[in-house]
Amino acid sequence: MTDSTAGRFDWASPEINAHLRKRKRSQFYLKSLGIGAISIAFAMLALLIGSLISTGYPAFTQTHLVVEARIDPELVDSENPRDGNFRQLAEDIVTNRVIRGADTDNTDRLTDILSNRAQFTLRDMVEANPDLIGETVEVKLPVADEYDQLYKGLLDRDTPEQNRRLKDREIAIFDQLVDAGYVSQPLNWALLTNADSRFPEVAGLKGAIIGSAYALLVCFILSFPVGIGAAIYLEEFAPRNRISDLIEININNLAAVPSVVFGLLGLAVFIGWFGMPRSVPFVGGMTLALMTLPTIIIATRAAIKSVPPSIREAALGVGASKQQVVFGHVLPLAMPGILTGTIIGLAQALGETAPLLLIGMNAFITSAPSTPFDSATALPTQIFIWADSPERGFVSRTSAAILVLLTFLITMNAIAIFLRHKFERKW
Amino acid sequence: MYDVTRSEPELNQSDAKFAARNVQVFYGDAQAIKDVDVDIRDKTVTSFIGPSGCGKSTFLRCLNRMNDTIDICRVEGEIKLDGRDIYDRSIDPVQLRAKVGMVFQKPNPFPKSIYDNVAYGPKIHGMARKKEDLDRVVEAALRDAGLWEEVKDRLHMPGTGLSGGQQQRLCIARAVATQPEVLLMDEPCSALDPIATGQVEDLIDELRQNYAVVIVTHSMQQAARVSQKTAFFHLGNLVEYGDTDTIFTNPQDRRTESYITGRIG
Repeated sequence: MTDSTAGRFDWASPEINAHLRKRKRSQFYLKSLGIGAISIAFAMLALLIGSLISTGYPAFTQTHLVVEARIDPELVDSENPRDGNFRQLAEDIVTNRVIRGADTDNTDRLTDILSNRAQFTLRDMVEANPDLIGETVEVKLPVADEYDQLYKGLLDRDTPEQNRRLKDREIAIFDQLVDAGYVSQPLNWALLTNADSRFPEVAGLKGAIIGSAYALLVCFILSFPVGIGAAIYLEEFAPRNRISDLIEININNLAAVPSVVFGLLGLAVFIGWFGMPRSVPFVGGMTLALMTLPTIIIATRAAIKSVPPSIREAALGVGASKQQVVFGHVLPLAMPGILTGTIIGLAQALGETAPLLLIGMNAFITSAPSTPFDSATALPTQIFIWADSPERGFVSRTSAAILVLLTFLITMNAIAIFLRHKFERKW
Repeated sequence: MYDVTRSEPELNQSDAKFAARNVQVFYGDAQAIKDVDVDIRDKTVTSFIGPSGCGKSTFLRCLNRMNDTIDICRVEGEIKLDGRDIYDRSIDPVQLRAKVGMVFQKPNPFPKSIYDNVAYGPKIHGMARKKEDLDRVVEAALRDAGLWEEVKDRLHMPGTGLSGGQQQRLCIARAVATQPEVLLMDEPCSALDPIATGQVEDLIDELRQNYAVVIVTHSMQQAARVSQKTAFFHLGNLVEYGDTDTIFTNPQDRRTESYITGRIG
């Protein structure tokens, strides 16, 4: 037997087996490394979301005082409900509920239980329905931040009194209200339906969400057609020469420019030269469009390139003009890729903070914008403002706002994935 | 007899659909086609054979100016369709391509319905304005391509859902829907199985009644089966052009003989 196999390569020799084992081992290492990397990424993501949820969840509820109260006609004139003395009304609502002990002589302290804005909650309620004047109705008023923290257990009662923001006496009075069943903690819809405020208990994201929506709308309207137009020209019509190479390199470079630079550009050009107003979503959208444009151009060009040449030839072969080929065949087939790229570009723009800071979209604005030309904040800049605020209540609200922003981002990316799967590979 | 070789340029221009004279094609600096003279007769199947890279597809694509879409490609010489130079400034390549239809190597129906595939050409050229006219054109084209009976009940299903052979016949229907005078086919059967190939070959024979057909093929058997005239290309030259029977039984040039007997290519 040895004779016949003498000249042959021995596939069963120990060296070969050792070599095979070595190859298998290195493949195993590579696989383990990959799994390790993915595990670390997931752990970090879980850590991020976990910490956001654990600090942010208290902001999704808000402590309210829920009591039956008579809207006193002496304080509120039915002819002119707007100018009623709601401050006194709110004060009465609290003081009437508290059993006065020996040390509860200072009534001013009692109104501090309610949010400073509670009187406006009352006013808005009565203004919307003037028939309530003279009636006894159930009113639901937000309590002040300190008491909100106390009720949620975020304020430690064991801290020495001098280091605590609420004194023993104040806590005792609030506990009276709690024991009487006047305090509840419903879902904090104000977080989505109110605009910004100095008082965390009534601060909300409405202005920021609408501001972001306007900015994204402007950004989309500007960057989508311009981006697709540029990509079509570069891909289908532009001659291949030094100039088109230069343009291509510069578009790729633009996609890598730090966003703060685009903010400076927006500040100098739109606000400086053209004299557009500061802090408005329209200018924010234009600045974001500068940033989104290269992303859309690159994604569109890639999508156009991936359309099989056979489809182009087929259309040219029956005598379609170049324009008919592009609009009748190439663009429809490239659309899922274009839409995916656009949505990812917009999602990036939604989370962009630096350029908006530079054009002043981090102003303190207590009403939601009604047009893209009203001053507003955007979600990321609102997060920036809240993170910078000293009030304790803004700590959880900052995390809650980040969760709201992440929800929007995840929704947009989900739409992108959905569109890709829906339109993918129809040829 | 139409036994014409390159050295013997006595061509009868009167009954030629296409008359090419002294055609040179360059890709950048490289010359792909050298001094090609050929006459393509109406209502005849002409096949172009030759080894890979010999320029037969390049020359075919000159006939409907598909080479225009390649930036670096340059065509010199004269190609006349019915006596008019197709590279003349007055000729619009878009209209030329409606008159000179093309079928490609790989079946490439549009990702649209069978009906829309066939109706596309007539629609973009404004040949049929009314729905009934368009319906008639589509039916006629599908009948010409021998596909009508198979698809008449599912005209609005996607064309990409058909089998390979049906897709290729759909592409032929799409090409004949613009009522061309010439049909160019670039290896139309190379992606098809033998049964589908047989169907397409039968179809080519029927199309000969109404069109001049030019087919590029790698299969010499196919050239022998379907064509009446054959042109043999080698290294960018048209080596020999004549009746298919003559080319295959009594080639004049040594290179043709070597290729046909399997020694080159």
